[in-house]
Amino acid sequence: METNGDAAVEVVPVRHVSRWVGWALLALFVAMLVHTIFSKIPLSCTLAKGTWHCSKYNWRFGWNQVFHYFTNGQVLKGLVVTLELTVLAMIVGIVLGIVVAIMRLSHSRLLSAAAWSYTWAFRGTPVYVQILFWGFIGDLYPYLSIGIPFTHVYLVHFHAISVFIPFNAAVAALGLNEGAYFSEIVRSGLIAVDEGQTEAATSLGMTRSQTLRNVVLPQAMRVIIPPTGNEVISMLKTTSLVVAIAVIDLLGAVTNIYNQTYQIMPMLILASLWYLIVSTILSIGQFYLERFFGRGALRTPPPTPIQRIRRDLRGIASKYRTKRGVQVGTTS
Amino acid sequence: MVEAIGVHKSYADIEVLRGINVNVARGEVTCLIGPSGSGKSTFLRCINHLEKHDAGELRVDGELVGYELRGDKLHELTDRRICNERAQIGMVFQRFNLFQNLNVLENITVGPVKVKGVDEKQANKSARELLERVGLEGKEKNYPTQLSGGQQQRVAIARALAMEPKLMLFDEPTSALDPELVGEVLDVMKDLARSGMTMIVVTHEMGFAKEVADTVYFLDQGVIEESGDPKIVLTSPSSPRLQSFLSKVL
Repeated sequence: METNGDAAVEVVPVRHVSRWVGWALLALFVAMLVHTIFSKIPLSCTLAKGTWHCSKYNWRFGWNQVFHYFTNGQVLKGLVVTLELTVLAMIVGIVLGIVVAIMRLSHSRLLSAAAWSYTWAFRGTPVYVQILFWGFIGDLYPYLSIGIPFTHVYLVHFHAISVFIPFNAAVAALGLNEGAYFSEIVRSGLIAVDEGQTEAATSLGMTRSQTLRNVVLPQAMRVIIPPTGNEVISMLKTTSLVVAIAVIDLLGAVTNIYNQTYQIMPMLILASLWYLIVSTILSIGQFYLERFFGRGALRTPPPTPIQRIRRDLRGIASKYRTKRGVQVGTTS
Repeated sequence: MVEAIGVHKSYADIEVLRGINVNVARGEVTCLIGPSGSGKSTFLRCINHLEKHDAGELRVDGELVGYELRGDKLHELTDRRICNERAQIGMVFQRFNLFQNLNVLENITVGPVKVKGVDEKQANKSARELLERVGLEGKEKNYPTQLSGGQQQRVAIARALAMEPKLMLFDEPTSALDPELVGEVLDVMKDLARSGMTMIVVTHEMGFAKEVADTVYFLDQGVIEESGDPKIVLTSPSSPRLQSFLSKVL
């Protein structure tokens, strides 16, 4: 066939039959899923003259219950506790993690050994056990005091349980556990920064801490941020374990409700929906944070979802404006 | 300016420097040449204490590098004092090592502002002057990844100069560059040499050494095989090692 210059030749794309079958199966599956989620089941049926007569119908998933309690005062109060726990535990974890990671990489044997031991202990035991441990710390140390060691001369002296009330114990447990994991994330970030960066900073006369603050940490952030987002989302859900020491978080609140109504599944669906909403918001925040700390590392930052949607729409629009077929010899 | 007497350095059981004697006068340009692994980069890094030498005497501007003589004992300097010594010596690396998280202007000002406590406005002003000097005005807001290798190396030179060093060290500054970008960096260095800066340059650019250097040292296997006026040393070398090296490089 002879083509010259800008003659348009129609291009026939390959037909993927198996893909169409796949799509059809998926559509069927989705339809089944939607049906079961939004189907109703009878509540009371009576047998009369050989046939069943059912009167009351209810959502299989108890949607009326879900929506009835969705913004219930107890639930919202629990949600706030969950968010507070997440934020405070992450702050404790991040601060501890950065300090421990820097200690771990220190030239001082004392500091690096201390850091290693901390990570070893808190990463090596289940977080659930740690939550219980801090919750019942008063059993081990009924009193906490500041004074001269091995004497009874105290400057400050108080009941342990006055400080380690359930909420504080939960923050301590989650924060200390997170610190151990986070220090490893920070450490990998610090190691990932090219040694030449440290050398250049050193050759300018920067001290180790100046180098760390001005050059290494900001670059390590690019490596640290993505797993941090992951950790925050993970923490959001891990906080539900604090029910064990009688902290009424989101899960605690719905548990209290279903203990009275016996509507267990709708309440769990309700809690899951709230967890999903918050983690979705967190994922969006993570995207923009990554974009911010990626500046300088990439020549062009990745588009935001809004920019991407706009670009795709523009692409579709221009596709329909041009004639079907490809101009041979030109690219458009 | 730089005085080395019998400088030794070993990594584990490999002796990299086996008694280096070098003397660099103020305002002089000195080139260190030699095959890879000869110890020239290591020696350069000893001068600003990026590497610690094991034995011998190394002085910059009359002061021992990294040590202090008190009585008849050498005392190691505290980190802070070593930093002070380094701040007076500029260094340019083979792989530029510009701070990836900072733009061009910030790369140049971070040293003066954080280390010397220079006022930020003043630092910005001198940084712009330096950028003009290396021919990169208008690139202030760019990040290192947006620049070519030659441009990055010129920013690196400006960054080192911003500290107003009394000595500049160059560690193979053109080895990581495309051939057509080498010239722009060498031009900046020649300009710097003419302005009277004391420079020690580890290089494979024999043309540059011949044109600019006052003295050239040829290192091989941790010792200085030959040294002297580049016009003599590089054109009619006396040691067979240098003869064979030059025949491969030129």
